[in-house]
Amino acid sequence: MSLSRGVRRPIKLLIWAPCPSAVPQLCKMAACRGRRLLWHGRCWFSQDPAAPPPTPAPAPLYPPIVASHTAKSKVAKRRRLELFYQQTFALNADRWYQSFTKTVFVPGLPPRAPPAAAKAPEPGAGAAEALEQGTATAGAAASGAAEALQPGAAAPGAATATKPAAEAAAELDLGALRDLACDALLQESFYQNKKRPFLYRDQDHTPAPFLTQLASSFAAFLCKRNPLLAASSLDLNPEINYYWHHGEEVVVHGHRKGRVDPVRFQIDDKPHLQIRVPKQLPEVVPLESDLGDVPVVNHKPSKLPLFKKQYENKVFIGSKVADPCCYGHTQFHLIPDKLNRQRFKVANLEDQIEVVYRANGIASLFAWTAAQAMYQGFWNEADVTRPFVSQAVVTDGKYFAFFCYQLNTLALTAETIQKSSRKNICWGTDSKPLYDVVEDGSVKGFNDEVLLQLVGFLLNRPKEL
Amino acid sequence: RWRRLPGLEKNSHLRVFLLLFRGVRQAQWLTKTKLVQGLPAAVLSIAENPAHQLQEQEEAVHRAIAHARLWETTEVAPRREKYCPVLFEDLIHLCRSMSMKYPSLARRMLARNYRIAATWERESTLLQIRGLNGILMNSMTPIPPIASKEEILATKDHVLETFYPISPTIDLQEVIVYQELNDTGFKDGYPYSHPHTLYFLESANNRPNRFRPEQLRAKMLMFAFGNALAKARVLYGNDPQVLEQPIVVQSVGTDGQLFQFLVFQLNTTDLVSNDGIKNLVWIDSDQKLYESAQCVPEVKKRVVTKPTGIYGLQPETFKKFLALYLHGTV
Repeated sequence: MSLSRGVRRPIKLLIWAPCPSAVPQLCKMAACRGRRLLWHGRCWFSQDPAAPPPTPAPAPLYPPIVASHTAKSKVAKRRRLELFYQQTFALNADRWYQSFTKTVFVPGLPPRAPPAAAKAPEPGAGAAEALEQGTATAGAAASGAAEALQPGAAAPGAATATKPAAEAAAELDLGALRDLACDALLQESFYQNKKRPFLYRDQDHTPAPFLTQLASSFAAFLCKRNPLLAASSLDLNPEINYYWHHGEEVVVHGHRKGRVDPVRFQIDDKPHLQIRVPKQLPEVVPLESDLGDVPVVNHKPSKLPLFKKQYENKVFIGSKVADPCCYGHTQFHLIPDKLNRQRFKVANLEDQIEVVYRANGIASLFAWTAAQAMYQGFWNEADVTRPFVSQAVVTDGKYFAFFCYQLNTLALTAETIQKSSRKNICWGTDSKPLYDVVEDGSVKGFNDEVLLQLVGFLLNRPKEL
Repeated sequence: RWRRLPGLEKNSHLRVFLLLFRGVRQAQWLTKTKLVQGLPAAVLSIAENPAHQLQEQEEAVHRAIAHARLWETTEVAPRREKYCPVLFEDLIHLCRSMSMKYPSLARRMLARNYRIAATWERESTLLQIRGLNGILMNSMTPIPPIASKEEILATKDHVLETFYPISPTIDLQEVIVYQELNDTGFKDGYPYSHPHTLYFLESANNRPNRFRPEQLRAKMLMFAFGNALAKARVLYGNDPQVLEQPIVVQSVGTDGQLFQFLVFQLNTTDLVSNDGIKNLVWIDSDQKLYESAQCVPEVKKRVVTKPTGIYGLQPETFKKFLALYLHGTV
C-alpha cells in the first residue's frame, strides 16, 4: 500500500521542462486550496522501538482514486508523463535543497562509534580533521578507521591510532575486499566483451554494472561481520517518493489570486541500489543538537530552477508498509552522463562538481528518511521522537562521495517550523577517486581509504548487534 | 570466403525463430544429449542437507516472494516485468548470504548482458549459437563432473530420437556466416573463467512473448550447451574429441513462479555423427515456488474471504535453487 494522496485539480499555470535526472528533482506544486492532505483520517501512531512490532496495517480495500490512464483529459495526460528526471544541473542547488529541507550540512563524516564503547558526539569539523589526519598514509587510515570499527576499542575515532595497521587490516581482510572490488571493476571494464556504449549511455555500460556488483558482493562478504546485512533486503532501481510543504507563497493569478498557500514539494527518486534493514541505524548525535546554520534562500523555488508540475503525491521508501525491512541503511546513487565531471570542467564550473554530489546526497537522503518516518506514523504535526539515520554513496563510477543523514524533524510547514528548533543534519565528504586508471587487465592507483569508508558504511549497525 | 550455412542464430531479440517445436527432444538431437529426469543425486543431497540452509529459511523466502510480488511498487500489483527480476535478485541475495558459512562462495561473479558464441557441426549442418542469453554466474573453480565414467560410456548405447520425416533443424533460422566464432564472452586471463550457472528470466508481460515451459527448457539446454562448448574449445582446442574432464554447466529458468532446473555435462565435442558418447543433461521441470500471490484481498459480499499474501509456499524449490548455487563449493 503506498501513501499517495493525489490532489487532483487542474492547475492554471503549467511550466514543464524535462530536466536530466541525477539528484531527485524537487518540484514545486501548484497552489492548492490550503486544505490539509487527508492523513487526518488515518490513525497514525508513532512506534516505540522497544515495543513489539504492531500488526501490519490492513491493505486498503479500494484502490486509490486517481485520474484515468486512458482518458483524454489534461489531468490524465499529465499522469501518463514520465515523472522522474533526477539530479539537477542547477547551480548551487545544495544550498537551496538545504533550505527546503531544513538541513545543516557538516563536511566530513561523523565518527563511527564502536558498538560497545561509549559514544562521544564530536562536531563535524572534528570528524573531518580526524579523517584528513588519518589519511596521511594508507596504513594510518586503515588503522584510524578500522580501529573505530573494532568493538570494544578505547577511543571513538579520534586521530590517534592505537592499533597497528597490519593487525586491524587483517581482521577486516582488506585484501579480499580489495580483490573483490578490483575483480568487479576489471570484469565490467576489461574482461567482458562488450560492444561500444550507446550514445550518451556511458554510465549504463560500465559504472552501473560495476556498482551493482560491488555493492552486492560487499554486502554478502560483510554479512558475517554485520548480522543486519544478513536480514537486509537489496533493491535494484527502487522508487523513493516523498511529499511535503515548506514555506508559503501568494497565489499569483487565477480565481484564487491573493490567497496564501503552502509551497508543496515532491521528490521522486530512483537510486541505483539500496539496502533496507529491519532495525534502525543508531543515532549519530542527540535529537536536539545544533551543528550549524541552515542557509536561508529568499527566492521563490522556481528560480532555482524547480519546475511546477502536477504529480501524484506519493510517499514510498522502496517497498510498501507491510514489509518488515522498513528502515533504510545505505543507498547507492549513480551520477548520469549529463552531469559528468568533464562537462563541468569544459564549462568552467569546477566548483559545481561537488555541488552535484551534495545536492544528490541531501535530497535523496532527506526523502528516504522522511518517508521512513512517515511509515512509522510521524508527520509535520506529530514530529519524530527519535532520529532516523540513513547513509548514501554517490558516485559516477570512479569518484565516490559518502553521505550520512540524520532526520531530526519533519516539521517544515510554515506553522510548525517556528515552534520547532530542531534541524536535520547531513554529513558528507568530497568526492574521491577509488582508482586512477584501468589498463591492461589491472587497476592502477587503488585508493584504500575510499574502500574503508565504504566498508565502514556497510558495517554500520545498531549497538545491540 | 563464405559459404551458405544453415545456422541456429540465437538472439534474445529474435525469439520468434526459436520455436523449437519439439522442445527438449529437438534440443537433445541438436546437442547430442541424453536426458535424465530429475536433478542428479549430488545436487539433491546438498538440497536435503540441513547444514546447507539459511537461518529461518522459510520466512526469508516468504519475505523475498512477498517483496517481489506484493510490496515493491507503488501500484497495487507489480507486473511480471518488474516482479520476475526482483524475485530473482532477492533469491540471489539470500543465496549470497550463505557466504557467511562458506567463504569460498565469495569467489563468484555475476555477469549480465554478456554475449556467447559457439559453433558446431551436426550431421552435415553447421549450427551456431550467438548473442545475449541470460545472467551468467561465473566461478573461479569448475564444477566437478557428476556422471561417473561408466555412465558416460553407457551413453554410447543410447539412440538419439529423430523426427523423421521432419528435419530437426526445420525451424532454425538460416543465416550466412563468415566466421565460425567460438567465444565465451570474456577475454583470456579472466579470473572467474568457469561458467557455473545460467539464469533465464522470462519476464515479458504478455504470454505470447514468454517462452512456454517446454521451450524454456529447450532454450536453457541450448545455451548451457553453448557455454560449455565455448569453454571446451578454449580449454581443449577446436578438434572434436571426447573430453577426459567433462564440463558441467547448470541453468535455472523462471517466469516468476515456475522454476526449471537443469544440469548439463559436456562429455564430447565430437558431434558430427549420431553415435558414440553423448552428453548428459538432468532436468527438473515445473517446480512451483508458490501457488499464488493475492495482491488485492478477495471480497465476497463485503467479507474478506482471501486476504493479501502469498499462498502455497513450497520451500523445496528454493532448496533446489540454493543447492544449485552451492554446487561445486560444498
